[in-house]
Amino acid sequence: MTRQEIQIEILKILKEEFEIENPGMDDDLREKYHFDSIDAIQLLIEIEDLLESELTMEEKTSAMDIRTINDICDYVESLVKERP
Amino acid sequence: MERRVVITAGAAITPIGHSKNEIIDSLVNGISGVKKMREDDLLSPHIHSKVFGTVDYAIDYDFERRYRKTMGPVAYYACQVAKEVIEMAGLDSDFISSGRLGVSFGSTHGSPTVQRQMYETFSGGFRPGHSPVSAVDYLRSMVHTTAVNITRMFRITGRVISSSTACTTSSQSIGFGYESIKYGMQDAMICGGSDEYDTTTVAVFDNLLACSTRFNDTPHLTPRPFDASRDGLVVGEGGGAVLLEEFEFAKKRGANILAEIIGFSCNNNGGDLILPDINGITQTILLGLKDAGIVADEVDFVSAHATGTKMGDIIEAQAIRTVYGDSPYVTGLKSYVGHTMGSCGAIETIIILYMMEHGFIAPTLNLHEIDEKCSMIRHTMKLHESDIRIAAIQNFAFGGVNTSLIIKKFDD
Repeated sequence: MTRQEIQIEILKILKEEFEIENPGMDDDLREKYHFDSIDAIQLLIEIEDLLESELTMEEKTSAMDIRTINDICDYVESLVKERP
Repeated sequence: MERRVVITAGAAITPIGHSKNEIIDSLVNGISGVKKMREDDLLSPHIHSKVFGTVDYAIDYDFERRYRKTMGPVAYYACQVAKEVIEMAGLDSDFISSGRLGVSFGSTHGSPTVQRQMYETFSGGFRPGHSPVSAVDYLRSMVHTTAVNITRMFRITGRVISSSTACTTSSQSIGFGYESIKYGMQDAMICGGSDEYDTTTVAVFDNLLACSTRFNDTPHLTPRPFDASRDGLVVGEGGGAVLLEEFEFAKKRGANILAEIIGFSCNNNGGDLILPDINGITQTILLGLKDAGIVADEVDFVSAHATGTKMGDIIEAQAIRTVYGDSPYVTGLKSYVGHTMGSCGAIETIIILYMMEHGFIAPTLNLHEIDEKCSMIRHTMKLHESDIRIAAIQNFAFGGVNTSLIIKKFDD
């Protein structure tokens, strides 16, 4: 999965599941869209579905500092690289 | 320190309507909100009673996703009526988040719809290492979901009380809210209760042979409180909220005062968890009058709990007769909406506010032939143009809990 494909999928998830429309890639999701810890957990489930792979506890914990869509894409990109 | 407590707003979602005008129209014209029970794929095929006090109209919820995500159907009802009373009362945001406004709101058992969805995931299979219960499932289903979704949506920072005592849930909510203001802990409280469509509750009463079953093809003819041909209660859904304020605070900000709460009592039968108890009920009525500092003769309207069960209505009539004699008009308002469980006390209070404002007393619907064992009190058989000055609202619950609220038409 390329960076561009990841970005398309993440924007689609944010729109369909979180009602976040046309966000800026570096918007602070918490400040601008009230994206909270509950949403972060739900997003991780969506990412597991996207990757068709279960995340480890360490991987999930490392996602808790994510603030922007670029951060999310970086995170998913690193997960993709770690998987065969 | 004891302070006066007034009601400055009320809103309800009921089987006979959402707006004040719709509800009054149903009361004045004798229109029932009891309909055929909606089928579900769980319990409805096994329940003998096929009637339900149904909210069958669309409600235009305008809640953002950030609030919706922690709400089950019961919290939608709760937040909607809370929103309406806040808007109606014109509370400003500084006060709302000042810590001097609290919430006293409950439901019978949170959201059974969400609880069912959670249980269904257990039998539906799930990914290894992945919990089928999501982070929001608990927030949407928990017993105090109504109260805290209200605090979250409106940024309320005062005390939270979340009664969950079945049929006395919202009368306790109002009573405990009243006490919070009366004794100086809060200046205002949003109080009430809600319950969503749920066949679990129907099944419980159905198993106890307490549900109405003879009017499955004519739902509007049941329940029939105090009537000789009554055959049990009808479960319903809905929500109701009132805003209570300390009198001087309300007066200072120019609030529209609808009524004053002058008394509240709550006790327990101290024994059986199901059967109504004449001594417990009589005692709670007397305690309510004592708290109000009035004598029985001053009450001119009693909103009876009156679910339409054989035994419950007789015992309540006996208790009313013992305390009030045959002076006040008595109406069983559940005859219009069914037993809306955790919201019944709030909905009945709001209906009384409407009747006080518009100068009428609605009759008990479907009461045509009074059961001779219930005949010793003054039943409201037809619509009366009459000013209610002081009203008592009685509710009794599984678990042996009894409440009595006493409200007075506002008179500065």
